[in-house]
Amino acid sequence: MPVRRLPEDRGGDLELARLIRSEKEVEGRYEEVWTLVDEDALEQWPAGPGAVVGLPAPRIDGYAKARGEARYTADVRLPGMLHAAVLRSPHARARLTRLDLAAAAAAPGVLAVVGPGEVEGVDGDAPFEGWPVAAVAARTEGEARAALRRATPEWEELEPLLDPDEAVRRGSLVAPSRTYERGDYDRGLAEADAVVEAAYTTQTLNHNPLETHVCVCEWRGDSLDVHVSTQGIWGIRSELAEALGLAPDRVRVLCEYMGGGFGAKEGIGTYLLLAAELARRTGRPVRCALSRREENVVSGNRNATRQHVTAAARADGTLTALGGEFTCSLGWRGWLPPTAGPMQLLYACENVRTAEHGAKLNLPPMAAFRAPGFVEGTWSLECVLDKLAAELGIDPLELRRLNHAETDAMDGRPFSSKQLLECYRRAEPHWRRRDEVRARSDEVWKHGMGLASQIWFGGGGPPSYAWVRLGSDGRANVVTAMQDIGTGTRTAMAQIAAEELGLTLDDVEVQVGDSARGPYATISGGSSTLPSMGPAVRSAAADAARQVLELAAQRFERAEGTLRLDGGRIVCSDGESWSLAEITSLLDDGQILGKGARGPNPAGMRILTFGIQLAEVAVDVGTGEVRVEKVVAIHDVGRVINPLGARSQVEGGIIQALGHTFSEARLDDPRTGVVLTKTLDAYKVPTIADVPEIVCELVDLPDPQLTNLGSKGLGEPPIVPTAAAIANAIRDATGADVTSLPITREEVLRALREAQERERVGALPA
Amino acid sequence: MELFRPSSLAEAASALGDGGRALAGGTELVPLLRDGLVKAERLVELRRVIPSGVEGTAIGAGTTLAELEANEEIPDVLREASRLAASPQLRNMGTIGGNLLQATRCWYWRLHFPCRLHGGDICHAREGQHREHAIFANDYCASAHPSDLAAALLALDATVETSRAAYPLAGLYRVPDEHDRNVVDLRPDEVITRIHYERPERSVYLKAMDRRRWAFALVGVAAARVGDETRIALAGAAPIPWRLDSPDALAEATPLPGTAFKLELARTLVERALARLG
Repeated sequence: MPVRRLPEDRGGDLELARLIRSEKEVEGRYEEVWTLVDEDALEQWPAGPGAVVGLPAPRIDGYAKARGEARYTADVRLPGMLHAAVLRSPHARARLTRLDLAAAAAAPGVLAVVGPGEVEGVDGDAPFEGWPVAAVAARTEGEARAALRRATPEWEELEPLLDPDEAVRRGSLVAPSRTYERGDYDRGLAEADAVVEAAYTTQTLNHNPLETHVCVCEWRGDSLDVHVSTQGIWGIRSELAEALGLAPDRVRVLCEYMGGGFGAKEGIGTYLLLAAELARRTGRPVRCALSRREENVVSGNRNATRQHVTAAARADGTLTALGGEFTCSLGWRGWLPPTAGPMQLLYACENVRTAEHGAKLNLPPMAAFRAPGFVEGTWSLECVLDKLAAELGIDPLELRRLNHAETDAMDGRPFSSKQLLECYRRAEPHWRRRDEVRARSDEVWKHGMGLASQIWFGGGGPPSYAWVRLGSDGRANVVTAMQDIGTGTRTAMAQIAAEELGLTLDDVEVQVGDSARGPYATISGGSSTLPSMGPAVRSAAADAARQVLELAAQRFERAEGTLRLDGGRIVCSDGESWSLAEITSLLDDGQILGKGARGPNPAGMRILTFGIQLAEVAVDVGTGEVRVEKVVAIHDVGRVINPLGARSQVEGGIIQALGHTFSEARLDDPRTGVVLTKTLDAYKVPTIADVPEIVCELVDLPDPQLTNLGSKGLGEPPIVPTAAAIANAIRDATGADVTSLPITREEVLRALREAQERERVGALPA
Repeated sequence: MELFRPSSLAEAASALGDGGRALAGGTELVPLLRDGLVKAERLVELRRVIPSGVEGTAIGAGTTLAELEANEEIPDVLREASRLAASPQLRNMGTIGGNLLQATRCWYWRLHFPCRLHGGDICHAREGQHREHAIFANDYCASAHPSDLAAALLALDATVETSRAAYPLAGLYRVPDEHDRNVVDLRPDEVITRIHYERPERSVYLKAMDRRRWAFALVGVAAARVGDETRIALAGAAPIPWRLDSPDALAEATPLPGTAFKLELARTLVERALARLG
């Protein structure tokens, strides 16, 4: 087994302590943490497909899901289980003046009631609609909800704060405003030959996973078992333990199959605390599931934004200044997402000035949502950049290439790897077709093409651990307490273990989703699952392989260094080989246990993902209908483990982006702050009929600096540039500048009118 | 709640007269019951006692949208309206009779805001979010009628046959006002049994939606030509399915700030529909 000393730039000397100070990033939020790391001393596999890794693999749990055998948290039914329902404020801002809890407690089937003040975050001062006030546990969900109606709450309604600009003026902020400046922004503007300013807006979006937030809590003595639909079982464990004053080991968190999260299921919610408390009071398992209506109000959202951006360049296309002011409607709480991130990071512009504000409003709180901040910031940056390209008469792709950042535009750090220029190069043949696309236009349907670049995080990091058990049957079992949130993580992990052990995919099983039955694993958020877990799994498999070879060396009297695993066999460099079973069968009921850990990230380097998307659209200039005919997605995420799974992520990201671009919007009543789009007829996610041809190209070159795999995450990158690429295509087709998301009929018609007006004025004799 | 399965139309009508609620496909009633917008102790299952299927120019009220969509005898305007409505699952269950009696999708009404349709004294949509709302007859209540099929049938000059009488489809609807906030003029014990239409020479239905499928009409335009006469009707444009006497009648629209685009859509779609009729 080739072993490499961990160089200093990857966290130091192996002889030294395993505890290092390391930068940790999740969803674009960085923090310095002490991290316990283990060696990551395996050489990367060569680029390109191996025996299993790099080849398309259908999901190993596909049949279980298709047959309905996969047990999601929503399917969990335990003996004696009760159902909880939560009484919530129907008003955006109100004070509870009356509540008849006794009536709710006396309702049929009710076994326990939790009132205001009895659980943290549950009280009668509601700062947004859906604020929890009380909860009951009853024999059925219907009885629980009926009991709540008997509580007949009365409210004193208060004036809600709903306008983000007013909130910023008044200093109502969730977090301090963030400003950033590099170079001399004003000089950058003064030096420019062209300056474009524009205002953009984005809407509030709901995650709407198929499986709503759901949990089942069951106490066993003073230990708590929690089945929960979550992206991070370890975060649930520590947050719950802290909230309940328990030792973390007293909380066991299970999530076998998971029906989507998109960022909304990264932490505990009050619904989980209520279920735990009701379970404690009744001594029975308690299930709490948010209804679709609750999900669309209180489960988190992608915050709306108002953005004013400026882009300036010299005649040769060199960007001289980028500026932006971003106001985020965060709701009552949350955090300020990196909306200015793309403006700060994507291009080599010397002079950048940004300001970000997080308005605190009487609206439901935001949550992470698939590349939070960067989706909204890329929308405005990549739209205004196209306007600048038009102003300068420079090809949009060329403008992006001209301003490519060779090193981190914020601090000059080298990138661990960056294949964005390769993405641009691969975009060229598609981009060259745009005249042909435009030529398809007729009186009604105008065709055009647009593109937008993508930048985002996705390097993952330590700690994360995995075990690989090898039994006497020669089959491997990967054990790690992570969760597969529907992205195909199980399959990717099986591929990595199979590759390292020289096995087929069928020889590998993966056990995830139980904090009591496996080692710590990372949260599935921030495109970090694969780059964090994959190296740990490979490392564990390598440990198991090393042990097999050690035994084989003894058994067959060969030097250890002459042996390797390949195709289910132990192969010696002298030409002889033995089946793996010849060694594993010696184990009887014993097992070989390989342990592995995620090593540190390279120090002093920036790890990012990159890409470009091109959209082809047809616009009906009479009705404002936009049909996206094709999206080409070219991304650089390092080594691709499963091209089929990766393609699914790209398609899923683009389809979700299409919803965000055209049809999805949470609408709030402007007077009361009540959410009006609580159901899926009003909140319109895309259907299969809205899905265009999607071409997916991945550069698939390992990041040589990053872990033993060289893989980055792909969960988020594909959703980042789609909306801007489409808006740029609409401009290409019609000359109309759409500036607000979603791009509704009225927005397209408005932009078309404005474009006509511009043309009319432009055509007037001077 | 009790499910009553009558053995005759008369038995059904009588049960409905006693406060029962009619159940056919259930695609509208069940969500309304769940949301507390309709209260019922007793559901009266109609499907075994009302006619279903197409005979000549008569359509049984129990005929599903999926059947209409697949039947080549049905005029284009109605087939297309059926095809573009809802989702395949809903069309497999939903009946034409029930479709005509759909309640508005107005979010304020659906969420129990004390609006005029609920007996209150303001229309929340007028001052609030109303991009999916009415451009005609929207002064008292700005809700929009969601039925694609009703617009198609208005264009086909359809007649509704009920357990009590037969009358033009337009007579089934009324614009709500302070005296009567209902949009449907049907007696409690009255059951729609058949719809009769006039066969057109040509007809067409055009629908603007927020996504390609499974959305209610921002504007639906139904047009049919019979002899020299061309009839036009709109879905999603008024509290009731809206008949346009001529394209010029669009000038009488009273759009709200957020529905001005709907008038623009209606103009374009009416023009295109008429062009398609030749």
